[in-house]
Amino acid sequence: MAEIVRRRGGTELRLDGRERELLLDIVDRLSAKLGTVPRSSPRAYEDPELEAEYQRLARPDFESTRLADIDLVRGGLAAGRDRILLADDQTLAWIRALNHLRLVAGGLIGIDADGWESTVDEATLARPEYDMLIALGWVQEGLVSAMSPAVDSVGEQED
Amino acid sequence: MPVEAPTRERAPVRRQQQQRDFPWQVVVWNDPITLMSYVVLVLRRLFGYDQTTATKLMLQIHNDGKAIVASQPREQAEVSVSQLHAFGLQATLAHG
Repeated sequence: MAEIVRRRGGTELRLDGRERELLLDIVDRLSAKLGTVPRSSPRAYEDPELEAEYQRLARPDFESTRLADIDLVRGGLAAGRDRILLADDQTLAWIRALNHLRLVAGGLIGIDADGWESTVDEATLARPEYDMLIALGWVQEGLVSAMSPAVDSVGEQED
Repeated sequence: MPVEAPTRERAPVRRQQQQRDFPWQVVVWNDPITLMSYVVLVLRRLFGYDQTTATKLMLQIHNDGKAIVASQPREQAEVSVSQLHAFGLQATLAHG
């Protein structure tokens, strides 16, 4: 069964072959939908001119970072190991990627208000994106919990 | 008779400078999908807040729909917003 534990200087994910296969499928399916829901195209300004200029400058980096983070997750899952060891900066990249993918899943099933966990209807429960949202949330929560004690010091050794 | 210093001519320049340097607010908006624990982690990571302060801000975002998480010069505020976007949070700039 999947497990996420803190290791010295990093995080260890223990996922069996079936779990990795499922997660890899989720990553592939949701990453193909990036940009199709409003939350995955964040805005910075209300003013249209300022927003256009911001997007011109920031959008390429935003998209390349997001794709690099997702590729890191994909590579880890596809490596064929039951234990995936992540350094702290890699853990942050995984957490970022999972959040982007959860935004896609939530957007595709129309979640737009707090409390959805207890009010979701049967039709939404039957959507595959709902299971994807929950599965990625479990992994993300585990990584956040593992990362939390170290988040203030990540990258300090590089300064 | 003393000569008046040319303060009036320099005033518009000062005003422009002050306007450019006036802090912009970095606003994070509530999102029903994003985990609360994740928002706390991101605020600690990007702004150096301690756990208590980051948690208070997260709860303000959750309860009020948004919170100002930093007030910074415009260029720095844009960097902060772009970093928040990279983490998948909904963030905007507002002129203070």
